[in-house]
Amino acid sequence: MKTLEELRKIREKAQQDMKLRESNTRVKVVVGMGTSGIAMGARDVMKAILDEVSKRGLADVVVTQTGEKGLSSMEPVVDVIEEGKPVVTYGNMTPDKARRIVAEHIVNGRIVNDYVVAAQR
Amino acid sequence: MQDISLHLLDIIENSVRAHAANVWITVVADILKNRLTITVKDDGVGMDEQTLRHAQDPFYTTKLERVKKVGLGIPLFKQNAEMCGGNFVMNSAKGRGTELTAVFQFDHVDRMPIGSLADTLVGSMIGHPETDFHIHLSRRFISGDEAEFEFSTAVIKEELGGIPITYPDVIAYCNEAINEGIKNTKMEEL
Repeated sequence: MKTLEELRKIREKAQQDMKLRESNTRVKVVVGMGTSGIAMGARDVMKAILDEVSKRGLADVVVTQTGEKGLSSMEPVVDVIEEGKPVVTYGNMTPDKARRIVAEHIVNGRIVNDYVVAAQR
Repeated sequence: MQDISLHLLDIIENSVRAHAANVWITVVADILKNRLTITVKDDGVGMDEQTLRHAQDPFYTTKLERVKKVGLGIPLFKQNAEMCGGNFVMNSAKGRGTELTAVFQFDHVDRMPIGSLADTLVGSMIGHPETDFHIHLSRRFISGDEAEFEFSTAVIKEELGGIPITYPDVIAYCNEAINEGIKNTKMEEL
């Protein structure tokens, strides 16, 4: 059984952790979760990214869901947004590709050009 | 959509887009009544009568900014429920949120499987940290026994103080808690 006690321990750990960091959100990842994105497998992409973030302990990454943006033919679509950098949009995502983006782009800072469909300021 | 949990995700996204602060999600599997009922209620902006009617029409959407002008999420869910001996009701009023109920005939040969409720629920609560999700799962077995599961992100957030629900260990916690609840109510096998 998951208990609230467990959550309190996480809170204590997180509070220590947050004190050491300057900014709380370094990268924002946005997964397109409109009807067509869902139909094309966006939920599994979301799951893979959340799994990587939680396994790697990426406390400065926030993963959110959004609606459609007119890129239906390239769904599932994922935006990686970093302060002061162009927004990178990845298309035709799969859980494996998404895991690669977490490892290469989000952790190591190298854009995965193979999957980029758009980049803008 | 291949399963009910994907439809549910689509409907939840509508609630969030309607600026809901709270979304109440109920899944009741009652084999004695031969019904699987999904309810999604929100306190978002709601719809007037005309929009409510249009929302169930496959050739209508409010998402004007996007290229594609048709929204198929709700009509498809409605069709899938009605196609297998169930029904679909949506109520809403401007400023008073929306409530949607889809009923499926449990043993209908064409009923879609429930799919991964956990992925839908965990993805939504982490992907929309500003919205609170109140989840209630209820299963009634042939024996008459019942199993229930309740989960609310409001409780989690209160316990966490200022720590965001998106914190890695919290994601893992929510994922485990939800999966446990689904297992205890035996919802994964539907």
